[in-house]
Amino acid sequence: MLNYRDLDWRVIGAALLLSLIGILLIMSAQHDADSVYRQHFYLRQLVWLLIALTAFVVIIHLPLRLFDVSAYLFYGITVGLLVLVLMVGSSRMGATRWFSFGPINLAPSDIAKLAVLLALSRFFAYTKLPPESKRRLAMSAILTILPVMLILKQPDLGTSLVFWVILFVLWFWSGLSPVYLVLILSPLASLIAASHWQTWALYFVVLLVFLFLTRPGMLFSVIVVAANLAFGIITPFIWNRLAEYQKLRILTFLDPGRDPRGAGYQIIQSKIAIGSGGIWGKGFLSGSQTRLDFLPERHTDFVFSVLGEEFGLWGALIVLALFGIIFYRAIRIAVRCRSRFASMVTMGATAVLLFQFFINVGMTLGFMPVTGLALPFLSYGGTSLVLTWTLIGLIVSAHYRWQEY
Amino acid sequence: MQRTTLSISHRETISLLIVLVVLLFTIGGLVKLQILEHEELAEQSENNRIRVQPLVASRGTVYDREQRIIIDNRPSFTISIVPSEAKKDITVPNLAALIGLDTAEVNRRLRRNRVSRYQPAPIMRDAPFEMVAVIEEQAGRFPGVSIQMEEVRRYTADLGSVCFTGYVGEVSEEERRRSTDIDYRLGSIIGKKGIEKKYDHLLRGREGTAYIEVTASGQSRGPYEGKPPTPATAGADLELTIDIDLQRECVAVLDTFCCGAIVAMDPRNGDILAMISYPDFDANIFSSVIPESLWQAIMADSTHPLLNRPLSGLYPPGSTLKLLTIGAGLEDGLITENTTFKPCYGGYQFGNRYFRCWNPAGHGNTNLIEALEMSCDVYLYQLGVKLGIDRLSYYLDLCGFGKKTGLGLPGELAGLNPNSEWYDREYGKTKWSRGLVLNNAIGQGEILVTPLQLTQFFCGLANNGAVYRPRIVRKMMFPDGLEVTIPPEIIRQLPFSEHTLELLMEGARQVVQGEHGTAKSLRDERYSLGGKTGTAENPHGENHSWFVGIAPMETPEIIVSAIIENAGHGSAVAAPAVKRIIDIYMGKKLGWSIANSPDTTESE
Repeated sequence: MLNYRDLDWRVIGAALLLSLIGILLIMSAQHDADSVYRQHFYLRQLVWLLIALTAFVVIIHLPLRLFDVSAYLFYGITVGLLVLVLMVGSSRMGATRWFSFGPINLAPSDIAKLAVLLALSRFFAYTKLPPESKRRLAMSAILTILPVMLILKQPDLGTSLVFWVILFVLWFWSGLSPVYLVLILSPLASLIAASHWQTWALYFVVLLVFLFLTRPGMLFSVIVVAANLAFGIITPFIWNRLAEYQKLRILTFLDPGRDPRGAGYQIIQSKIAIGSGGIWGKGFLSGSQTRLDFLPERHTDFVFSVLGEEFGLWGALIVLALFGIIFYRAIRIAVRCRSRFASMVTMGATAVLLFQFFINVGMTLGFMPVTGLALPFLSYGGTSLVLTWTLIGLIVSAHYRWQEY
Repeated sequence: MQRTTLSISHRETISLLIVLVVLLFTIGGLVKLQILEHEELAEQSENNRIRVQPLVASRGTVYDREQRIIIDNRPSFTISIVPSEAKKDITVPNLAALIGLDTAEVNRRLRRNRVSRYQPAPIMRDAPFEMVAVIEEQAGRFPGVSIQMEEVRRYTADLGSVCFTGYVGEVSEEERRRSTDIDYRLGSIIGKKGIEKKYDHLLRGREGTAYIEVTASGQSRGPYEGKPPTPATAGADLELTIDIDLQRECVAVLDTFCCGAIVAMDPRNGDILAMISYPDFDANIFSSVIPESLWQAIMADSTHPLLNRPLSGLYPPGSTLKLLTIGAGLEDGLITENTTFKPCYGGYQFGNRYFRCWNPAGHGNTNLIEALEMSCDVYLYQLGVKLGIDRLSYYLDLCGFGKKTGLGLPGELAGLNPNSEWYDREYGKTKWSRGLVLNNAIGQGEILVTPLQLTQFFCGLANNGAVYRPRIVRKMMFPDGLEVTIPPEIIRQLPFSEHTLELLMEGARQVVQGEHGTAKSLRDERYSLGGKTGTAENPHGENHSWFVGIAPMETPEIIVSAIIENAGHGSAVAAPAVKRIIDIYMGKKLGWSIANSPDTTESE
């Protein structure tokens, strides 16, 4: 039996509060929906929360070692299932999207996130290869890319980024030299600088000097230079020669959920909702943006906008604080754990939550692109909630068992 | 090469810093929107949920000269489908069966007229009451079907008035683009022809606006308390110069013929008392959705109901033009009232061509009065030769032929007044014979006039040479009580002296009153009628029959011209037709009981 007093109640409490706020927001978001079915979304979410809490309770009672030893098995089964679904699903439209367990449908991407997290954690916990070894980098990258390729016949930028973030953060956490980390991120900088070629050229020279000084190995250097060239020159070169509709088509292809009504409609409506909420908000069930249907996807992707509109700045700050508690505690737990596996899992789980939080909230505030990434705890969606609570379960379990190796 | 690895505490610090940066970024975004941009975004949020809904103004009523209704509005039912409430496989098939369209057509209209899921998409305008009753009673069979009340234009039946009223319809893309001063919406009603088009800016009034709270998908939440609605201003009413009694008689008169046109005008002010194009079409059909088959039938009709004959029907004037030719001869000093040319033996040899008179028996020796009375062609041939093409054309021009009358209704044509330049252009220099002037002198040949032009010319003759602009709208009555009268306007003086005019009018009098007058059968003791018959040769078939009547001859008050297509001689067909209309006018004036006229009270 667990000694419940030793559980990390700060994390559990924050997570529980966030989940309940989420249910309130979903209730408000669909309060005036034209179908009773939609009006009852919050009840469905409540049922999902019970399932998620059950999963959480089961996870904290299981020994962490179990996840450690079965990580590759779980990964293998997941990949196998993904292959199976892909083959079976090819005959039926859309069947690849979900795993069905009786009445419960799970999004494969959420299961895959967990599988990749556990497998990478185990890999980094036990590998004897030095952090900079090519084999180590390559193997961890392959572990990540395999399920991504299987899930995403159509590359959904937001979701696939979550996997790369797990990989990158675990590289960092397992001690990869900052030189490498910087170089790995360098193509992103190229992409940002690409619009202004003088800036990019200057940046590229700096990059070459950096490579010369640090000498990270021939193959790695070549890959970095090639990636920077690709992002910095070739991409804009091709991009500028595309017609407007072709660009739009590619953007839509990369991100199917983006902006169905055009002209940044969702973002504009979300900003109006949050901004019009002001400091004190319009009050529960009283957001006109929400109530009158202007806010798109308001119970899923834009649930934070409902929060901003109805509860204003103070409501948003409370939610931010609750997230802050979880992130802070999780990082402290990751540092404290004696088990490398537990540390890796905790850090990876934190990365998933933080990344999704930042992308989603950033999107509603208008400084991040529109992606289909859900806001942990708050967005409507059963799988997302179960995964989130599974991650919380792993974090709480790591805290409880911090002395175990 | 050995790498420096970050210590665990450095990694921790970096991680916590990243979390801090993320949270600060987020707080910064919140502060920016919720404090710095709060006012602006709050206002946008208000505008966001308010939709401006137009309040359609009631279109102005159009009356005749005695305040009887020619056009008004009537309430109608529009059957619509609200997409969000419609049930698949129930709504559309049931509705289609009820209104007698196939489901594909109903679906097509649904797609075309759909604005949003929550706004009714019109399927059938002006639906009969029986259909509406069925929908109301059996609402369960028609989920998502809604009924709206709309005003539609009602044109008083059987007036034959479409040639001047025109009709209304939904504004077209092009009309919306062209319009600068009025902001037409998609689906706005606009005048398409006639008075409805020319006076559209007055008739339409000004739309009001209501402010309603809506959801993003357009679902109405009822009126918005923050902004009171601006009511619509009804359109101005118009009083026409038309007399419905005469108008109805025109319909009755032409009803027995295939095709034709009648124009009745008051020479003293240019008022159009009646105007009809026959056959025409019912302007009311444009109020509801026109069945494609009906439209096809109208388009394909060989009698051309869409041709606006009084304004844009082009006919040779025939002998009615002889007054102009003789007037020109008098003014140019080529003839006097006593001049006689070579006697008429039924024809005239000019060059190597023999020009026939309409009467093969001939008219013998005639002066100009007798030439008019009997409509002798030979007299006019000889005068035409003296006059020449260009001189005749000069007088035609001064009398208003070859140009629009100034009525101003859309679609009016100018006709054709050919001179030698025109013939050179058309046939080539020296490729045409001077003999053409003989045809022109008797109103055949290439000269083409509209019935309105000819009527206006006779008005000038009957009004001492002063020609008024044809007037059809004489008063505008605005909803605020302001009334604006459009004054009569003299636009030209005929190029004839008083003496010439007297002679011409005497000729016109003799046409009816003379012993040998071509229209002597019209003689009536109750008033003095004059006029001129005409027969317009029609290369495509039977001749067109013209008559222009003038009454009373002492001080003319009404000119009626009629052309009846393919009906033969003017004296036989058009003249009695004109007489019937003048009888109505004189009867009203002198107080006879009006025989043969239909019920003059409103039918509805």
